[in-house]
Amino acid sequence: MPSRRKFLGTAATSVGFFAVSPSSLIASPKQASPNETYGGALIGCGGRGPSTYQEMTKGLPVEMRAQCDVKFVGKADNKMFYTDFRRVLERKDIDLVAIGTPPHWHALISIAAAEAGKDVLCEKPMTRFIAEGRAVADTFKRYKRIFQIGTFGRFGASKDKKNIETHKIMRSGLVKDPGVFVKSGGLKVKEWSGRVNLAPQTPPAHLDWNLYVGAAPMKPYVGPRHGGTHRGYWDYEGGGLADMAQHTLDPYQWIYGKDDTSPVEIEASAPPAHPEVCGMWGWIEMKYADGFTLVLDSGEWGNKYDRKEAKRVALADLDEPIRAKIQAMPDPEPLVTFAEAVKTRKQPGGNAEAAHRCAILLHLANIAIRTGRKLKFDPVKEEFVGDELANRYVNPPMRAPWHL
Amino acid sequence: MQDKIAELVDQIPALDKRGTFTGPSWDEAMPILDGILAAGKEGVLAVIGMLKPVDDGGDYKARYVLHALAQLVGRPGKDAARTIVAEALAAQPNGYCARQLQVCGTKNQAPALGKMLADPELCEYAAQALLAIREGAVEEFRKALPDLKGASRLTVLQALGVLADAASADAFKAAIADADAEVRLSGGWGLARIGEGVDLVIKAADVDPGYERIKATSNALLLAERLLAAGKKADAVKIYAHLKETRTDPSEKYVRDIAAGAL
Repeated sequence: MPSRRKFLGTAATSVGFFAVSPSSLIASPKQASPNETYGGALIGCGGRGPSTYQEMTKGLPVEMRAQCDVKFVGKADNKMFYTDFRRVLERKDIDLVAIGTPPHWHALISIAAAEAGKDVLCEKPMTRFIAEGRAVADTFKRYKRIFQIGTFGRFGASKDKKNIETHKIMRSGLVKDPGVFVKSGGLKVKEWSGRVNLAPQTPPAHLDWNLYVGAAPMKPYVGPRHGGTHRGYWDYEGGGLADMAQHTLDPYQWIYGKDDTSPVEIEASAPPAHPEVCGMWGWIEMKYADGFTLVLDSGEWGNKYDRKEAKRVALADLDEPIRAKIQAMPDPEPLVTFAEAVKTRKQPGGNAEAAHRCAILLHLANIAIRTGRKLKFDPVKEEFVGDELANRYVNPPMRAPWHL
Repeated sequence: MQDKIAELVDQIPALDKRGTFTGPSWDEAMPILDGILAAGKEGVLAVIGMLKPVDDGGDYKARYVLHALAQLVGRPGKDAARTIVAEALAAQPNGYCARQLQVCGTKNQAPALGKMLADPELCEYAAQALLAIREGAVEEFRKALPDLKGASRLTVLQALGVLADAASADAFKAAIADADAEVRLSGGWGLARIGEGVDLVIKAADVDPGYERIKATSNALLLAERLLAAGKKADAVKIYAHLKETRTDPSEKYVRDIAAGAL
């Protein structure tokens, strides 16, 4: 990843590995621009922001026209540098928006960008809670805009022959024992646990704390709530689980054919959660309606997960009639990249619906940790069954004026 | 009793050197939580009494215990314990307690939370707890709105929009003509949510280009969808036709396309 200084110096015009001819741009429903390049903006310039912007420019001729961050107080000129994303989105010469803010802003800025006619590449995790993802998916559908989540593992995974076989087996609906996937370790649980022992401080002069907090509950400023360590606070992300699970699980969600559904039973092994900061947990077991089980085993707290063995269903294990039916199924269509989607208006591989389903996984896991009880989930209604208090985490109220 | 409760709370583990916290397992926590619940509402009030006015980390054990209690009483078969905890949390106006009522509160705590709406320091937390509880919330918001100003007014106005309160139509109509852009947008969103005010919402969407126009147009599209769903096709067509006719700038072609597609 380039340093921020280097990034700002080189990103004014970023042309990807193949150029788009003017004729193909005419065919694209992109907004009017003063020239033949796409106008690009980065909202949320720290941390992953520059990398997210660079991902957005791959394969597209993009001119950087705006950079926005709540820490630009004193630097903002409302020409190239902004503190308020609303001023960026109202610009007519911005076509593509990369969102690299903390996750509590992902949904609201994505929605506002779509309403302003922009296409979006948004850093993961997609959302802070479940209802946000549904709102993003519905908005991008209504406005016919392109949304791609900023994790790309599924693009490589979907080209692998073995993965395609598993995908077809799972999508066939013909398998009685669809197996168990266990992801062990790598979820940065301790690393992204928040700090509890901090007294309120005065926010630094360069930071618009009110705009940073946004729709989250207003809390006094303490340093770790901003700047990467925000991951350790429920208000802004959801610990290592939220930070890593969408990245980790996105390819497997495609491999196991779960882009259009969610688990129906969720159980976590974890201590009672702290109200403000994300903390330790041991494992999470999530079962789908077809019996497929997905397990996250942190290896950082409590006993190791030992309920089921990992098991991947294979064509060779199936009876001949079923095997023949699956082999007769066509291979899935190649996934569309963000650049192709922007040009053709086809849905990209990491579109809002698929990304939302993946984000639901980490939200279900975190809600099971926070409530401390086994939960049942309705993947169609996207709400918990018979647990009114767990449903309070599905769509928590937002601080005005922000709403879905 | 205070000493006994303090002893129980003190069993919560210490922070590590970095200041991060790992709670006890549920099995280890249960004797602590059961011990507090055994003392009834007074036991919970004793824990609340340990809260410092400002969260500086010094009272993290009491805050943690209260939150664990709020989660515990949400389990099936814990109705009696939930009543004890929720009543204690609502006994005095307190922002942290209001946030725990967002976790476990019931309609019985709505009046106490409603009173907190008048306090600018507590309004946001009280509103969020009321929205989580839902039952009994709308009456409290309606009652509070006329006396509120500034951020509190916007908070409650938006809450009435979240609840799609048709009885607040006049409040939304007044808000859509407000001097403050955020209040105007909140009023338009409220009207869209309740499926009323076609002419007002259309007029609001014709504001000069900028963020307000983008959001007000979104309100208009939402209203059109609500009207269609309610079988009020003529009103919906009026909105779509207006957007199709007025969004002639190339930068608003995407809106024109949506409207044309709906007609």
